Amino acid sequence: MSGIEIAHGCAKGERPLIPQVCRVVEITQETPDVKSFRLQTLDGRKPFDCQPGQLGMFGLLAYGECMFVVSAQSDEWVQFTVKKVGLVTEQLHALSVGDEVSLRGPYGNWWPVEACKGKDMLFISGGIGLPPVRSFLLYCLEHREDFGRIDLVYSGSKYDDLVFKEQLFDIWPNEPDMHVHVSLYHEDPQWDGPVAYTAPFLETLELGPEDGNRVAVLCGGPSLSRTCREALVGVGFDEGHIITTLEMRMKCGVGKCGRCNMGGHFICLDGPIFTLEEIASMHSDV
Amino acid sequence: MILTKQNLMPLLRNLTGAERDVFVPTQVDGVSKFALMDKGTVPDFEQVNTTMPPKDLLFPQTQKMYHFDVDANGSYRIHEYDESREQLVFGIRPCDMRSIVCLDEVFLTKGFVDEFYANAREKLTCVCIGCASAAETCFCASMDVDPQLAPNADVMLQDCGDVYNVIAQTPKGEVEVAAWAPFVEEGVVEPVTCEQSLAVSMEGVVDKLEGMYDHPIWDNLSIKCLNCGTCTYLCPTCHCFDISQDMRRKDGVRFRCWDSCMFSEYTMMAGGHNPRPEKLERVRNRFMHKLNFFERRYGMSLCVGCGRCVEKCPVALDITRLIDDVAAIG
Repeated sequence: MSGIEIAHGCAKGERPLIPQVCRVVEITQETPDVKSFRLQTLDGRKPFDCQPGQLGMFGLLAYGECMFVVSAQSDEWVQFTVKKVGLVTEQLHALSVGDEVSLRGPYGNWWPVEACKGKDMLFISGGIGLPPVRSFLLYCLEHREDFGRIDLVYSGSKYDDLVFKEQLFDIWPNEPDMHVHVSLYHEDPQWDGPVAYTAPFLETLELGPEDGNRVAVLCGGPSLSRTCREALVGVGFDEGHIITTLEMRMKCGVGKCGRCNMGGHFICLDGPIFTLEEIASMHSDV
Repeated sequence: MILTKQNLMPLLRNLTGAERDVFVPTQVDGVSKFALMDKGTVPDFEQVNTTMPPKDLLFPQTQKMYHFDVDANGSYRIHEYDESREQLVFGIRPCDMRSIVCLDEVFLTKGFVDEFYANAREKLTCVCIGCASAAETCFCASMDVDPQLAPNADVMLQDCGDVYNVIAQTPKGEVEVAAWAPFVEEGVVEPVTCEQSLAVSMEGVVDKLEGMYDHPIWDNLSIKCLNCGTCTYLCPTCHCFDISQDMRRKDGVRFRCWDSCMFSEYTMMAGGHNPRPEKLERVRNRFMHKLNFFERRYGMSLCVGCGRCVEKCPVALDITRLIDDVAAIG
């Protein structure tokens, strides 16, 4: 069974290192330390056209810039969902609507939306791993007839850490043939649902490969990725049908500054999206 | 066409002009490097390799990319710098010319052109001097470089003892050499053969390394590495960079500067995860990049055999020994 085919090195662009000044047009507090920012150009347009899964370098001229997956987009804006973990993200969290920011991109490849047509989709993520996965999930929901059953398996350390709660609990469960499964890693007074780590929780759901007709889309930290890969392989998934989006420290976004390499591949340019089968054939430190 | 060595300095003095900067190998504060030629500069064309590689002519150690300001309303404006000047580098060696082949691949291909490099590259004229003799750490001939040839140089000067063969190799080189008429004469002389005492065999090494990612050789190699980064700064092909900024009051500048894969912060992520946390991963990544990864991506070695890292590594971590060791593994 051949794996899902993913395009690599497909991003092209002019003047990749010069940002444009953009404006924050909407801010959503997703969790105590996660916010989503919608950005437009100063004259009110969408900053760039991009495919779901592509990256943007979002930041502040005075403080620096970081790479994020575009977590959602419309014809008028792009959105980034940012967890406050360091110097730049702390400054991003201090932004107000109307503030000016810097943005460059898009970079990298995109989710294999064509190759997944007609498939059942199993999205798996933990914590801040959901925004990158959501870019694909939103595409599937916008093109609902092109995809089969959709499952989302999502976990967080505690209730407050779950991002996109409105979509998770009120919107997505009501989408046709979409099944949302949420667990927390620890007991929480705000939570009466399942308490389990993602991989064992995933195992209880008995979502198999359906003879290659189901594609798993995985994004989380190193241990979530490892354990969920094992769980998926354990129920018969081949690694060509498990897709992930990788993250590493990045500076340029176009395969030149050097640091995000996995062997001879650069996550920013050839990735961030690979099948696990592809990653297994690389010299990966990730 | 030939240029006598007596005519070298008169030619060089004639080349410096207001419209471009001329760089020559010389000593600056005790460090051998390519530096701007002015009246007091004493070029050194005898030393085979400068300590510092010439890569900063195309990829400065620190380079301002653009600057910006913010007004009282929090409104930002980005300003670009005026384009750089024409540069001529005189006396660059064939190994360093090969390094420019590698840098051209990195900065000018794969979907995105690095405009800062492209601009400097377009404005750089290279006059390469072939090597009649080698330093004891030179091994370019083992890395597919001919010490008397550099196909990508605009002008090649082959060292023939008392004279140089002058070969214009590009349209830019032809224009350059046309202006040298008062200093050159007709003729062709046999170049001196450059003997290198240090040699390695790369046969099979790229393919062998492919299967050696988890080999104990990396433990043995990395254990003495100090992660000082000297090798990366002196390497003519190392091109990793950081991007940062400096802002005072209402004005700021965004710049890039050389970075080094030998440093743990290089891959440290904001959440605390580091995919290459130890020396082993970093040393392995560097040597694999030189000898395997780049070959797979661009079809050429990222080591040009200049020998700078071999000479300057404080703990004698020697890439030629690694190549020998890999070659010796059955």
